This record gives sequence, structure tokens and C-alpha cells, in this order.
Amino acid sequence: MKTSTLTPYAIRKRIAIVLLLTILAVIPLFLSRQPYVMNVFILIFYTSTMSMAWNLLGGMTGQNSLGHAAYMGLGAYVAALFVTKAGLNPWLSMLLSMLIVGGLAGIVFYPCFLLKGPYFTLVSIAFGETIRQFVINWDFAGKATGISLPFGAESFLEFRFMSKAPYYYIGLIMIIGVYLLMRKISKSKFGFALRTIREDEDVASAIGIKPMKYKVYALIVSSMIAAMVGSFYAYYNRYIDPDLMLQSYSVEFVLPAIVGGAAFVEGPLVGGAILITLSEFLRNEFGAILPGINLILYAVVLLVVIRFRPVGLLGWFSESKLKKMIDVKILKKSEKDEEV
Amino acid sequence: MEIFLQACVNGLLIGGFYSLMGMGQNIIFGVMKIINFCHGEMLMIGMYLTYVFNTYLGLDPYLSIPLVVVCMFALGALIQHTLITPSLGTKSFTNLLFLTVGLGMLFQNLALVIFSPNYRTITTSYSSKTLSLGPITMSLPKMISFIGLIIVTIALFWFLKYTSTGKKIRAVSQNPIGAEVVGINSKRIYIITYGLGCALAGIAGALLTLFYMVYPMVGASFSFKALIVVVVGGFGSIQGAFFAGIFLGLLETLSSLIVGPTYRDLTVFVTFIVILVVRQMIKMRRR
Amino acid sequence: MENPIIKVESITKNFKGLKAVSDVSFEIRSGAITGMIGPNGAGKSTTFNMICGYYPPSNGKIFYKGEEITHKHPYEYTNMGIARTFQIMKPLGNLPVVDNVVPSAYFGRYGAKSLKEAREIALDVLNFTGLYEKRKVLAKDMGTPDQKRLEMARALATKPEMLFLDEVMAGLNPAETESAIELIRKINDSGVTIFLIEHIMKAVVSLCEHVIVLHHGEKISEGTPEEVMNDPYVMEVYLGKKGENNA
Repeated sequence: MKTSTLTPYAIRKRIAIVLLLTILAVIPLFLSRQPYVMNVFILIFYTSTMSMAWNLLGGMTGQNSLGHAAYMGLGAYVAALFVTKAGLNPWLSMLLSMLIVGGLAGIVFYPCFLLKGPYFTLVSIAFGETIRQFVINWDFAGKATGISLPFGAESFLEFRFMSKAPYYYIGLIMIIGVYLLMRKISKSKFGFALRTIREDEDVASAIGIKPMKYKVYALIVSSMIAAMVGSFYAYYNRYIDPDLMLQSYSVEFVLPAIVGGAAFVEGPLVGGAILITLSEFLRNEFGAILPGINLILYAVVLLVVIRFRPVGLLGWFSESKLKKMIDVKILKKSEKDEEV
Repeated sequence: MEIFLQACVNGLLIGGFYSLMGMGQNIIFGVMKIINFCHGEMLMIGMYLTYVFNTYLGLDPYLSIPLVVVCMFALGALIQHTLITPSLGTKSFTNLLFLTVGLGMLFQNLALVIFSPNYRTITTSYSSKTLSLGPITMSLPKMISFIGLIIVTIALFWFLKYTSTGKKIRAVSQNPIGAEVVGINSKRIYIITYGLGCALAGIAGALLTLFYMVYPMVGASFSFKALIVVVVGGFGSIQGAFFAGIFLGLLETLSSLIVGPTYRDLTVFVTFIVILVVRQMIKMRRR
Repeated sequence: MENPIIKVESITKNFKGLKAVSDVSFEIRSGAITGMIGPNGAGKSTTFNMICGYYPPSNGKIFYKGEEITHKHPYEYTNMGIARTFQIMKPLGNLPVVDNVVPSAYFGRYGAKSLKEAREIALDVLNFTGLYEKRKVLAKDMGTPDQKRLEMARALATKPEMLFLDEVMAGLNPAETESAIELIRKINDSGVTIFLIEHIMKAVVSLCEHVIVLHHGEKISEGTPEEVMNDPYVMEVYLGKKGENNA
């Protein structure tokens, strides 16, 4: 039905998406000699993916977790342990890691969802810190020194590559996959349950939504994505240590969502692309003389956005320039009802 | 037994710092219902100010406290007026949360850029003097700081209870609309409150400088401990924060004595989570 | 009373030693509009919230269609066909009006399977409640009368048999009250049993066929509006103070 009545607007939008994807797909062909730039892209991919994972629980469900680095770290550790200690295939380890972390988060964190608002945020920090302290004291996982993954010949099966390009493509597939999943969730029954819970838990109960159940589901999905990113991180860097779980990283994963606009599925992507590009540029230019300069920028951008554009960059954009852009570029119809 | 007593005294001392931090945090929460995630960074700034006054102006750390208080109050008032008050209007808990998180990040990294990550200490003529009270020995600076903590705590209680500004602060935290109705200018109270909270953290910082190293990340651990104090003591309750701070200090030193220092933080965090969850469960039962 | 849809058996609620509601019993007849009145602090909202599962009664039992529901959770009520509104309006402020109603269509007894279906149900309900024109407005940007309507629309979209309305006319001017009364009657005509708490006597008299009067947490009278209003005790404790309450 719909496909036969594509408006010019819808067609051009599709063209733009295909164009963007093509550009992203061919980038490694031109930049393969510049590992630094490739690294920035990979960084954007996995940080934005983490931010989307956070946004499912934070932006969409309204549960402001500040312990997401711990899920990612735990995911990295579980995967790395399976690979180094049990000699399992990395892809299988990644899958196992997702299942274990998701299950663990769902079970252990379940009672913590009794807590609301600031209490929840605090318990999420304490929870993250508990996991970190546990790993620091855990002999089997190498305590504070961490775990190194074996180097060796390039192999897709072993998730081990000499150049950055394969990691780039895997990261790209990861971010697109998670984005599509988030879009799907956002428009589904599940997404509406989460948003209702965010706005008011009493209302949610009054129309038949069990808040506890959906919050836990959101956490499980969120932590599974975090575990996937964690495994990717471990295989990419070939080394992990407990610092990965520091609370400051949790904050860094939240920033793209807040800056981009936590109410939007695309928020973390926009925020991530802008923040990390800027931050890596600054780190590259001034990092040697002024360590911490990129984090100062993070903080300033965050403060400015919250102070002057509390709905995030996307919220601001969709109110102002987008309209003009669409009017100039393409005809639009009232069929936009279908969106949001 | 002597080790135990010594640990208790150390616990009381560190607990006093947690109390002071937690009380500042709690005054802010009571009035504005926000968690100040940069409270530890305020302590850090207080420490660096003390350090700078000592190194460049030759001021004694304890005599520089009034100066630190003035600076911290001004800083807090500025932040409140330019950033927090406007954002309070959006009523977005997420935004207010990350506003203070962002401030903490800013201050931490500014300190890193200005002072480098090096550890710094202050030494004075009386730094290494010790006092003996029966089986307990304590260094002189610790003793002075301990007394300082007691004085500040008493002064704070007195301020909130008897001065008109203190009464206004309590009025706003108990019933903001009622306070507005009787003509209290809530914006002014916000500024005073946040300034006061920062000044208290600054005092804690100044009192800590003589026997603790100063570095950009020093606030982080105190920040979270102060939050634990606030939660365990009850949001908005000043007395609760006071006792919870002492309790936390004792729990820390005694648990490192009993289960060993490596498991100290683990014990504290697990205790914290259990207390929170169990209390919420009891609350829900009673409903 | 023949076929009561809700039966309340001597429920009591203590809050920290304070008796908010004590030993209240009544029945709600299927298909009718039943009202509950009483001065401020009479325990109306507490009774209401106990029946809706928001807090369990300290004592007593509540039955729905003969089945005991005393200790059911609020979210279990929807599937049984019970819906409620909130006295203090709780619009999902950051969502457009349509999206305030869509979750009800998903999770209520319509059990929408797709977003398209849920939207259609939501738009139908908005049409019914007179909010269709405002479907794209953010809920927080609407005025009190529309937010009150939204409360009802959200409850209706769960396809209830039994609807609890908590002061849906408070704060409305006479014209708005009139149209709210019309809407409530329309809902009732569509086959939904209604139980409402209301301060506005005019609305109670014109809508309800049965009225329950609470005072100090106890039921002091019940009957048709005329019977209740002619009860000397009710006149003394409630109607006598009406002027003050509305002042």
C-alpha cells in the first residue's frame, strides 16, 4: 500500500540514507593508511552504541543509570575470560557474554528497581563500583593488572585483524543494528510502555503496565548491548583492565545522548559524532601539553546544551532548521503524522 | 584493643568529614531537590585554594579558612545563579543531574590542566607533631581538624536553627510553596543554600589539606561517600547526615581492620545497596 | 441490590495509627452511575484508592463481579476491565495527546497488535471524548479542562466495564462542567459502569442514581440524591458547610 504512494519527500529521504551509508561504507578505502582517523571512527561507533544502550534505560524509560561502564566492563571481562581461559571462539564468547551479563543484570539489579529517582541513580553508581571492586580483587581475572588477549595471525573467526578496516566494518554493523533495534523498540508496544513509565509510573500501572517488569526488560536489553560493546572493545584493544569500569566512563557514555537529545532515538548518534570528533581533535592537538582539555570541552558542551538547549541538539534542530531544510529541499506532506 | 581504639578515633575523624560533606549536600537537596554531583569537586577546590594560599601567600592552612569560605561561597552563588536556577525551571531531573555531573567534570579537568596530575602536600612547622591521649596517638593537625569539624558542625546547627536565614532555608525545604506565600524570596535562598553547601565542602577541604594529598581526582571518592551519607541519613535530614557520616567513617576504618583494606570499599558499597533496598522494601510493606 | 459489579465489605485504612477510613461498606450497581461525596478529608480519595488497588486496606474485602480483588495490584485491574483517572492530573506531559492514549490501546483490553491499530483505537477514543482536534498537541501544553478529558480518554482506551473518576470536574467553569457532565453520561450510555467522587453537587445530582456520603472516614448515609440531601445529618455535616468549602 504505502510503497505505491511514496511521496517525493520519502523518496529523497531514502536517497539521502543510502548516500550516507555508501559514504560510511567506502570511507575505509580512502583512509586505510590513516589508522588514527580510522580509530576515531571506531571510537564513535562503539561509544554511540553504548550511549544508545544507556538511552534505552535513561532517555526512554527515565531511569538515570550512572553505572553503565560496569556492564560494558563486565561484558569485556566475561568475553576475554572465555577466550583466554577456556579457549572459546571470540564470537561465541561475545554471545555468551551478552547472555551472562544480561541475565546477571536482570537478576541482581532486580530489587534495585524498587528505588526511584535519585535513589536509583545512586544505587546504580554503587552497583557499578561494587562490580569494579570485585574485579580488582579477583585473582582469576588478573586483579588490577587486567587481561591481555593473545595476538596472532589475522583471522575473521578469531576476531583478530591487522588493519583497522575490519573493526571499522564490524563497528559500523553494530551501530546500525543497534540503531534499527532501538527504532523498532521505540515504535513498539514495549517502547510505549517504557515512555509511559518515564512520564509517570502510577499512570503506567493504571493502564495495565507492570513498571517493574518493563524496567527490568529495558535493563536486560541495555546491558546486553553494553556487553556486546564491551566484547568488541576487548577484541579491538586486545587488553582490558578494571579502569574500564570507572564511573567517569559511565558519564562519558551518557553525554552523547544528553547532548544529542535523549528523547530521540538518533540523539546518541548525533551527540556521539559531534562530541567525539571534537574531543579527539583537541586531544590530538593539545593533549600533550594540556591533558584533560578534551574532557573540559565535553563538560562545557554539556553545560551549554543543558543551559540553553535543554532538549538537546536534535530537539533544537527539529524545531528550527529542519523545517526550513525540508521546505527548501523537498516537498513535504501531512503524512508526517506517521512519525515521532 | 589499642588498635581498635585507634581505628575508632580515625573513623570518627574521617566520619566527621563525611558528615560535613553530607550535611552540605543535604541542605542543597532539601531546598532544591537536586543531588549535587560535584560536591567532591568543591572539596577539591577548597583544598587547592588552601594550597595556593599557603604556597604563594604563605598563609597558615587553618588561618586561610575564612578566605576559602568567601571564595567558595562566591563560586557556589555564581554557579547557582547562572546555571542551576535557570535549569530548575525545566523540571527535568535528568538535566539537573547531568548539569552537576558536567560541573564536576569541568572542575576536575581544569584542576588537571592548571595544577597537573601531581600529588601535592603542605608542610608546616607543626605538621609532624603528635599528641598522646592515653593509648591513642594522634597527629596535631588531625587533632586541630577534628576540633574544627566539631565547631563547624555546631555552628551549622545553630545557624539553621536560630538565624532568620537558617529558618528561611528550613522553611523552603519543608514547604516551598508555603515559603513563597509568606514572602520568602526563593531564588535568593537557592543562592545562599548552594553557596553554603559549597562553603561547607570548602571548609572540609581546608581542614583536610594538612594530612591528605591534593590532586585533581581527590574529590571523587569523597563525592560518592557524601552521597551515601545523604541517602543513608535520609534525604534532606541534617541530623541524619551527621550520624550517617560518623557511621560510615567507623564502618570504613573498622571494616578495613576486620576484612582487610582491599575489601573496604566493597564492604561499604554492598552495605549501602543492602540498606537502600531493604529500607525501600520495608517502606512498601507499610503502605 | 441486584447484580452489584463492585462490592466493598467493611474496609478500614490506618495511616500510622490514624484512621482515615473505618468500616465502610457499599455496593456499586452494574450499568449505573454511583457517586461518593463528603467534605474535605472525609476519606473519599483513600477509599477510592483502596478500591483501585493503590493501597491495600488494613481490614475488609473488596469484590469485583463476585471475585475478591482486595490484594490485586493496580496493573492487574486493567485486564479485569477496571480503569481509573487521577485527581491530580497526570498527563504524559512530553508526549503528544495521541501518544498518551496509545499505551492504553496496547495494554488495555483492546490489546492492539500493531502501532497502526493502536493509533486507530486512540483516535477513535479521542474523537469520542472531543480531543481529536488536539491530538498532536503536547499534553503539558493543554489547559485543565482538556487534561481532565485526557485522563478520561486514557482510561476509556483500555476498554473498561467499570470506570472510576476522581474529581474530573474540579477546577472547571460552569460551561466546562456542563460538557464534562455530558461526556460522562455519554460514557455511561455506551455501557460503562461509573463510580465518581465529586465536589460539585449539581453534577452529582444530575448524574448519579445512587450516592454514598462519607464523613470522618465513615459512611453516614446512602441512597438517591434526593434521599441523601434530605438526610438531616448529611445536611448538617456536609451541605451546611458547602458554602465554606466553595469559598
